[in-house]
Amino acid sequence: MAKILIPTPLRQYADRKDAVELDGSTVGEVLGALTSQFPDLRKQIFNDEGKLRSFVNVYLNDEDIRYLKKDATPVANGDTLSIVPSIAGGATDVAPAQRDMSVAEPSTALSQDEILRYSRHLIMPEVGMEGQLKLKNAKILLVGTGGLGAPLGMYLAAAGVGRIGLVDFDVVDFTNLQRQVIHGTKDVGRKKLDSAAETMQDINPYVRIDKYEVALSSENALDILAPYDLVIDGTDNFPTRYLVNDACVILKKPNVYGSIFRFEGQASVFAYPGGPCYRCLYPEPPPPGLVPSCAEGGVLGILPGVIGLIQATEAVKLILGTGEPLVGRLLLYDALAMRFRELKLRKNPDCPVCGDHPTVTKLIDYQQFCGIPQQAQAPAEAPGEINAVEVKAKIDRGDDFQLIDVREPHEWQIGHIPQAKLIPLGELVKRLRELDSKREIIAHCKSGVRSAKACNILRQHGFARVSNLKGGILAWSDTVDPSVPKY
Amino acid sequence: MIRVEKQAWATMVAHAEKKFPNECCGAMIGRIDGDSKHVTDAVLMENAYAGAQGARYELRPEDLLEADRKARAAGLDLIGIFHSHPDCDAYFSKTDLENSCPWYSFVVLSVKGGKFDHAASFLPNADQTAAEKEELIWPKS
Repeated sequence: MAKILIPTPLRQYADRKDAVELDGSTVGEVLGALTSQFPDLRKQIFNDEGKLRSFVNVYLNDEDIRYLKKDATPVANGDTLSIVPSIAGGATDVAPAQRDMSVAEPSTALSQDEILRYSRHLIMPEVGMEGQLKLKNAKILLVGTGGLGAPLGMYLAAAGVGRIGLVDFDVVDFTNLQRQVIHGTKDVGRKKLDSAAETMQDINPYVRIDKYEVALSSENALDILAPYDLVIDGTDNFPTRYLVNDACVILKKPNVYGSIFRFEGQASVFAYPGGPCYRCLYPEPPPPGLVPSCAEGGVLGILPGVIGLIQATEAVKLILGTGEPLVGRLLLYDALAMRFRELKLRKNPDCPVCGDHPTVTKLIDYQQFCGIPQQAQAPAEAPGEINAVEVKAKIDRGDDFQLIDVREPHEWQIGHIPQAKLIPLGELVKRLRELDSKREIIAHCKSGVRSAKACNILRQHGFARVSNLKGGILAWSDTVDPSVPKY
Repeated sequence: MIRVEKQAWATMVAHAEKKFPNECCGAMIGRIDGDSKHVTDAVLMENAYAGAQGARYELRPEDLLEADRKARAAGLDLIGIFHSHPDCDAYFSKTDLENSCPWYSFVVLSVKGGKFDHAASFLPNADQTAAEKEELIWPKS
């Protein structure tokens, strides 16, 4: 006689017994006797082929029968058999953000700590407990943790938005610190995602942050955006801006837009039900190079603070469902004049994305759409280019050539190459006579974009021996003279 | 419905927070009265998964056998299994489902940033293709 211990949940199939004494000389025989006495137990323990189910282990006293003789393991009088399931699991099977948002239950209450934290919200009837819970249950995706993303991330975390996704793959550098206040000097060299998440978590540990260390692309955008209630565009380039817009229209999620340049910024809410989208405003991107980026044109450090917080305000209003959203209106801000203006925007019935007969119904190649070649940076110098080390060698050899710096005087003040002559790009045409067309000319700017234009202008005016210093003064600082500051 | 008593719950939560950012696991012991399960004791177990444990756990059957013996010795029942989801909500993942068994309640504790956040209990169906949510009551301090 051997004893089989019956697991609690199976006792309902075994006359509610917690153990059964059975005859049999092997484990197989005892289990056979068990299931013939209690037929309902059979399908709990065995599969259709009569084998033990995959999760079922049988122990003879303290030993797993798999490591003995399995079914043929001899059973002696007084032995005890146990049925023990194998159990494992884990939250591995899906991407971090998708895995739970669909099943997460909304919070219905705030803790005492949260009530204290949000008290200035709670005492306003426009927010109150109901509104604060809406914020807590809200999921916002923030594309970019740079100039706009910095104030957005900090204030949305502070306001108690329950879940914030961050998309960025950049690293903090010194030129970011003038405006990206979510990162500090100690964070230079760190991933922006880590630095931003740390600041936000410090401001409000109740916020859950999802980090996406990727470049948003046509392949991943819909998956990344899908779990969120709304998207905030804090990007600085056209391909991503169109990508975010189109993905938001396709997924029917509001897109809180903002952009900044030098002293001016704009903001609006796109893809809101019934409202226009970014393509209604700008159906086509500008030709590449026409609109300079902040790295090329500069930006007042405070400006993204103003625009980012307008975006944050709109996001919070959309979640609360209060006030008048910035839908169908483009807000323009001029920091120098300290003026806000507003343009009316209409939904364009012919819009290729959100119009009556859309032609763009899935994500496209946005690099191509914006006219940006796939390999923007050729590895070697293109014809007409020269690298900084060669220019230095020419100077050292005493070669006869003219080095011209086509940047602006205020950039020259930051630092310059001693042998260079300053002729800002805008003055080049009227100062051509200062240059000798028979001598070789090398032009440089900050990074090589403006000096490439200068080279073209010179060639058009009959200068034959012209080359562009690849990478500009930044490359000079990197490879020749680190005492020339980078900016 | 599964109700977890204060002491047992505190033990489970402390275990889950201590093992963060890894998943923790263990068993729940108590009494069953009809459809109502009453957990009076939590048995902590080592996560035996051989690999990164941030999103995986595995129970040693020997540990479960031992927990069952302990329960029987005290005149109680083995009622369920618990494990944690670090920085992830308390849902029943595909991995959880496929490696579960249909006999027990499976309680998942969500731990966020090292602090317990919320929990849920699940009952896998007979062929482990789906799990239904079971009402879980824990002491709210």
